Amino acid sequence: MRNMAVMIELEVRRLRHDWAELYGRAIQPLLWLGVFGPIMSTIRAIPTGGVPYIDFITPGVLLQSVTFVSIHYGINIVWERESGILKKLLVIPGPRYSIVIGRAMASGLRAIFQSLIILPVALLIGVRFVPNPLYFVLAIVVIFLISGGFASFSILIASFMKTRERFMGIGQSLSFPLLFTSNALYPLSIMPPPLQFIARLNPMSYVVNAVRGLTITGDISNLAVDLLAVGIFDVAMFVAASISFKRVIE
Amino acid sequence: MQNADFAVDVQGLSKVYDGKVRALDGVDLKIEAGNVFALLGPNGAGKTTLMRILTTQIKPSSGKASVFGCDVVRGESSVRRLVSYVPQEIGVWTDITGYENLLIYSKLYAIPSDKRRKTIDEVLGIVGLWDVANSIVKTYSGGMIRRLELASAMLTSPKIMFLDEPTIGLDPSARKAVWERLWSFRKERGTTIFYNTHYMDEADQYSDMIGIINRGRVVTVGTAESLKDSIGKDMIVFSLQNHSAADIPMERITALDSVYGASVEGSELSVLVRDTESSLPSTVKVLFEAGVAIEKISVAKPTLDQVFASYAGPQAEKRDGVRQVRAVRRLIRRG
Ligand SMILES: Nc1ncnc2c1ncn2[C@@H]1O[C@H](COP(=O)(O)OP(=O)(O)O)[C@@H](O)[C@H]1O
Ligand SMILES: [Mg+2]
Repeated sequence: MRNMAVMIELEVRRLRHDWAELYGRAIQPLLWLGVFGPIMSTIRAIPTGGVPYIDFITPGVLLQSVTFVSIHYGINIVWERESGILKKLLVIPGPRYSIVIGRAMASGLRAIFQSLIILPVALLIGVRFVPNPLYFVLAIVVIFLISGGFASFSILIASFMKTRERFMGIGQSLSFPLLFTSNALYPLSIMPPPLQFIARLNPMSYVVNAVRGLTITGDISNLAVDLLAVGIFDVAMFVAASISFKRVIE
Repeated sequence: MQNADFAVDVQGLSKVYDGKVRALDGVDLKIEAGNVFALLGPNGAGKTTLMRILTTQIKPSSGKASVFGCDVVRGESSVRRLVSYVPQEIGVWTDITGYENLLIYSKLYAIPSDKRRKTIDEVLGIVGLWDVANSIVKTYSGGMIRRLELASAMLTSPKIMFLDEPTIGLDPSARKAVWERLWSFRKERGTTIFYNTHYMDEADQYSDMIGIINRGRVVTVGTAESLKDSIGKDMIVFSLQNHSAADIPMERITALDSVYGASVEGSELSVLVRDTESSLPSTVKVLFEAGVAIEKISVAKPTLDQVFASYAGPQAEKRDGVRQVRAVRRLIRRG
């Protein structure tokens, strides 16, 4: 538990020295909201249930950027293996999984900061949020959790990669498929059935649904299922990453 | 608590990576508490592998190893409380300050919060990084980064420090600075130090005991002096007039009874012998018969390089060292 807290503290300290990266990573999602969104909404081709299209995609765009950052985290771990940091962390007292989960949660922290940059800008663009602080806090918690899950997922993948370069290719190409095979940009109902099937397996769909309900539509009738899906995904990924971590070490 | 008097006790230790690479091949080694032990060997000899097993990072394939009586497999959490470790590569975060690095490590090592500040200041003083403690590590020189790593290894006052090539990639003055700090720390605390190196002079100068490792085996252990003695008490150096190496009857010289080994470098022929008195006449006779003209003869003590060559074979060049230095430099730049 202590190790996890320290890993999060470490992340705060790193962020403090490098805010630029955080802002840099916020540019892409803002382009989605500022350019892609308005253009698509003029076409009015996508049934969004009465919500403006930009509002509809805001949770998905936010989560895409969070996923991207979280998956990038695996690269960090591979890099730390090439440097000596990981070796040194292996020698500290305490169980190994505390390092894995600690790092995954540090990624969740980054995701929160990321959201806190993107959301106000979205508000300025004209996205109308549900004015309920409790919902907002809950949405942030969901974002934190899914980021941890995706970071573990990326550690899992990283454990199969020998070099950082190879991981970069794979890691970076993961976040967009996750986005496109989810309900982030269009509702499930207009997808062809095979894609619908994939979307139902995609954890992204559940998070998008939860965050959309909490921040945009206020409809949280599915929240319990969504949270359960996120929880299962996280636990599965934490366990898998902790086990595969052995491979990262050797 | 068997063998608790030994800081490190290794018996028949082997490590095979991926079922293919035999990195350690039956290592036996005992190190007494309080010693500074240098494990000397060429790149790829298995130094890092042995150290990673002793610090509980990876498991041996067979054999046993213990640190102050604690088995590195069964008692891994006890071992972790006794040791500290500096990896061959960079083991600090380069995007935060030196002080923050020490703060993070002191928390990971559960140093009580009321003692943290004092402990960190103390180790910063020992390694001489006081004035740059609040700069980002990326701006440090290679030597400063190494000293920061030492500081983080000193934080917990470990019983034994494992240092993997602590001065790799450093210029002579930075190496000296590292060792002076380390030496005064161990004098003050009596900490056992186990370090890997491929620098002969480092092992010679900064150690109580030296072990030579080659191809996964520790081939010999002793003090620098005893190792030098073991390959012959004396070294006779002949300065030759005609220095074509082909003229020198190396085989006949090394076949002589009292000769342990011989090597040619430039116009100098070095012959390792049991004692000069009985070996000189026969050696001179061989050279004379081969028509090699001798300009000067001097007698010296053998160097550790020759000890190393005689145990590990002459292939152990510094070439690999240079490659590693570049790799480490690259890591520092990439940050
Ligand atoms: N993680 C690893 N996986 C596979 N082989 C390895 C690994 N680490 C080291 N080796 C191999 O084991 C041998 C010993 O390496 P190492 O212990 O790093 O030697 P040294 O530290 O003396 O240079 C080398 O042949 C090296 O290639
Ligand atoms: Mg090594």
